[in-house]
Amino acid sequence: MPIIVLLVLVVFFTSINSNFFSLRNFARIAIAASPFLMVAVGVTFIILMGSIDLSMEGAVSLTAVTFCFCFLFFGGTLASGGWIAIGAALLAGALYGALNGFIHAKLMIPSFMSSLAMGFVGIGATVLLTGGGIVRIDDDIFRSLLTYRLQGFPLMVYVAGFFLVVGILIQKFTILGRNLYAIGGAEDLAAASGVPVKRTRILAFSLAGFYYALAGILQVAKLGQAESVTGANLMFLSITAAVVGGVALWGAIGGVFNALIGVLIVAVINNGMVVIGLPDYLQDGVLGLLVIVAVILSTNRSSIRFVK
Amino acid sequence: MSTFIKDFIEREKMSRRNFLFASAAGLTSAAVVGPWSATTAHAGSHGGWSMAWSYRDRASAYWNAIVSGGEAYVESLGMSASDMTNLINEGSSEKSLADIKAFLAKNGGKGAIACDANDSPNARPVVEAVREAGGYISTIWNKTDDLHPWDIGDNYVAHLSWSGEKPSEDAARLLFDKMGGKGGVVHIGGIPANIPAIERLNGLKKALNDYPDVELLDVQSADWDTTKAAEVMSSLMTRYGDDIKGVHCANDNMAYGVIEALKAEGITDMPITAFDGNPEAVDLVMKGDLLATVFTNPHWGGGIALALAHQAAIGAFKPSEEPNAHREFYGPSILVTPDDAAEFKATYLESTPTYDWSDRWGLSAGQIQY
Repeated sequence: MPIIVLLVLVVFFTSINSNFFSLRNFARIAIAASPFLMVAVGVTFIILMGSIDLSMEGAVSLTAVTFCFCFLFFGGTLASGGWIAIGAALLAGALYGALNGFIHAKLMIPSFMSSLAMGFVGIGATVLLTGGGIVRIDDDIFRSLLTYRLQGFPLMVYVAGFFLVVGILIQKFTILGRNLYAIGGAEDLAAASGVPVKRTRILAFSLAGFYYALAGILQVAKLGQAESVTGANLMFLSITAAVVGGVALWGAIGGVFNALIGVLIVAVINNGMVVIGLPDYLQDGVLGLLVIVAVILSTNRSSIRFVK
Repeated sequence: MSTFIKDFIEREKMSRRNFLFASAAGLTSAAVVGPWSATTAHAGSHGGWSMAWSYRDRASAYWNAIVSGGEAYVESLGMSASDMTNLINEGSSEKSLADIKAFLAKNGGKGAIACDANDSPNARPVVEAVREAGGYISTIWNKTDDLHPWDIGDNYVAHLSWSGEKPSEDAARLLFDKMGGKGGVVHIGGIPANIPAIERLNGLKKALNDYPDVELLDVQSADWDTTKAAEVMSSLMTRYGDDIKGVHCANDNMAYGVIEALKAEGITDMPITAFDGNPEAVDLVMKGDLLATVFTNPHWGGGIALALAHQAAIGAFKPSEEPNAHREFYGPSILVTPDDAAEFKATYLESTPTYDWSDRWGLSAGQIQY
């Protein structure tokens, strides 16, 4: 169903402005969606467990700034050693996620609260690191993620595509992936069957943190800069995208592929509203309404008994 | 980072002091003078008048520059920056008023104050409290349209504000000239209900009147945000494509996003104007990625607001003998263009100019219009 919603939107926007249906516009949507997709994939792992992660804005800002500082420290170009920054940012993201998971699972704090708090910690740390300023990256090789195109799409889109596939593989073919569904379906049964619930939770949050760091790096690739608001708006958008795509907040329903469709739906709506010339003061309201319609159409509600 | 922490601790110290002031405001003035007279006897007593700046907090570069202007004025009198009292209201109008009352009570009414009243309705009780105590005050930014210094008297010396309209119009004219006086332009705006966003768009529309061949294709809000501006700009490219010959942005941060969105399309020669005069934007102007940005000189504004209050207090001039254009005026704005960006950076960003504070209205951009 979510795919049909996506197709209907594409047909709708194309019928109003045929420019919408062009390779160039799809590339623009893909650029906007790439960092955002990484966040949505990350949070999908958490939502599958029936938990929630609200730390993504802090995580993306912190890892993006970490990446920029490391990149500049190692010479400011990819060739001079800036590639080390990629590893450093991904490690920072995973550690941040692990800490998030530890606070949630070991200290027994609901994920809603622990992750929200960790998000604030991340933004606070970013403000402290940057002093409220902007860190810019000016390396043509690194920026070729945005400027170099294959088949009409910039390299960063392929990077996001690669890690999307990795996410699907983790979900389908690893013990961690199966355990996420077990916990999300019935945590007590999973625990009784020998699933290491706490360890799985911490691992899942680490994995989510890794994906947020990927988003942070792609954000820098896209904008050439990082600051404390680099992750702004990603919380609402990514959770909306996951739900619109068919990942249910009560856990164990949907998966990484649904997150992709959801991200595309939200990105298409955002792009399409401007392309068809909707006045800006109507856009927030229309986005909200379309999200409700999309959730109604795309969630398989026959498989659930109640909504909390 | 260390300066950040130092500033933070300094701010916290000030907040505590203000908390004491605020709680003291409920007491009688005699009781307030007592406990502090020992520690503050030397503070800011030039000509017998103590000086204070009342504002929200110092966390942004903008407010830091405002307050540093006040400190520069105090230092120009041969005192140290700490002789100016910082009355930090933390976004509370009640605290703003209470702090000012306490400051005046402590100094027996002999206070010269510069103030942003936090919100417009708060300006009237603040200036009336100053008049009753016999102090002198200048305000900036927040005041209601029906409140005028000349109605209150000499104690309300002046009000200073900045219009986004005129500088935004100047930037638009530069943009249109660069476009050859014809073609399509798009405006990337701030949050639609924000006053600066409205003024900056109005400036663009005014300039359009004189350029019949320039067409405003679209106005889209990007909420002052870099990421959103990049997405909006690329969507606009789908809608208008090559018809877009210039981009007018309501602030620097959104212009950064626009530049990157166009870079992704392989477009590097689109004329783009911005607003705020941030250091990064000035660098981009020097590189040629940005056509212009606008700088409003908060340092001078913060200094002159305090200077006017203090000079009126010591009798250097009599406010009621000045024309209205000297009582309510706009602060300056500087259009930073490729020709003068390097000089601008050296003058305003890498160093701070020394101002002659007795030239009271030298940088004024005219009387405030309603």
